[in-house]
Amino acid sequence: MQHFLLWMEATDFSTWLRESESIWAFPTILTVHTVSMGFLAGISATIDLRILGVAPRAPLLEMKRFLPVMWFSLCVSIVTGVTLVIAYPTKALTNPIFYLKLILIAIALMVVRMIGRRVLSDPPLDLTPAPRNVKGLAAISIVCWLLVIWAGRALPYTYGLLFATEGKP
Amino acid sequence: MSGIPGCDSCATPFTGFQIWLSHLLRGHGFVVSVMRSKYAWHACETLHFFGLSLLVGTIGIFDMRVLGIGKRIPIASLQQLKPWGIGGFLLNVSTGLMFLMAFPNQYLYQWPFWFKMAFLMLAGINAFAFDQIMMRRIETLGPGDDAPAMAKFMCAASLCLWIGVIFAGRFLAFYKPVFNLPPP
Repeated sequence: MQHFLLWMEATDFSTWLRESESIWAFPTILTVHTVSMGFLAGISATIDLRILGVAPRAPLLEMKRFLPVMWFSLCVSIVTGVTLVIAYPTKALTNPIFYLKLILIAIALMVVRMIGRRVLSDPPLDLTPAPRNVKGLAAISIVCWLLVIWAGRALPYTYGLLFATEGKP
Repeated sequence: MSGIPGCDSCATPFTGFQIWLSHLLRGHGFVVSVMRSKYAWHACETLHFFGLSLLVGTIGIFDMRVLGIGKRIPIASLQQLKPWGIGGFLLNVSTGLMFLMAFPNQYLYQWPFWFKMAFLMLAGINAFAFDQIMMRRIETLGPGDDAPAMAKFMCAASLCLWIGVIFAGRFLAFYKPVFNLPPP
């Protein structure tokens, strides 16, 4: 593990991301990660609010049209997220909270997929109030995204090692 | 023009305003002592990101509907999302003020912060104008109806301006003040 981290930190790309004085290096990657987070979690949560009963006259099945925007945001989040890990691999990969964040994202995405397949494709739900179990799914989705954001914000405060050269992970 | 104590070369045409604002925001001992704890700072950041997502999600869905995604949704039916968007915005104003009151000099003397304020103001004017002028015209748009070009333009502007707010908001954290004023 330590060999891998040392190797990655020494790559040109990782070094450039960290050491470039340009605002277009690390700061821009982090910003794009934030924008895609806003669209991914935000659109998902807004669809959840609709399921929970907000804006009941908006046809629920048509909300499916926003899923491609979410999947695009997810792709952007993954690309920028991987880039941020390449910049500081030790900082992320030796922090348990980072793995917790990944697990929470996986759960959130599974819930979104379930909502997309079962709820947003169920014609009777288009304009009638959702049953309790469906509302429960929407509530779980919102809680998952809140936990993902909390875990992401916790990363700068919880890492043990910044670089592999600092010691054995 | 009065100079900034400790940094004469930092003076800008609105240095006087910056110093006045700095004095206005400083000296709220309670906020400062709360925000000095790293848990409070982390909590406010997390809430700031919750608000950001709520704002982007609700405004984003409305703007995208006007732009033509999900056209079976009647525009008027999305009006109920407004309080949630405003709620997200107020959450961000209050947590933003906590950061600002804890370390006014970190923010007031750098360009990204004022870019953020400018984007916020433009996004606000755009939203107000849309609500006053455009909403009456497109409220009646039912399932499948296309919005007028002007409405689409304002919604595209709204998306760009809010993304601009996020960009400036992220960049401002990378600027450290080049001088130190005594702590409030």
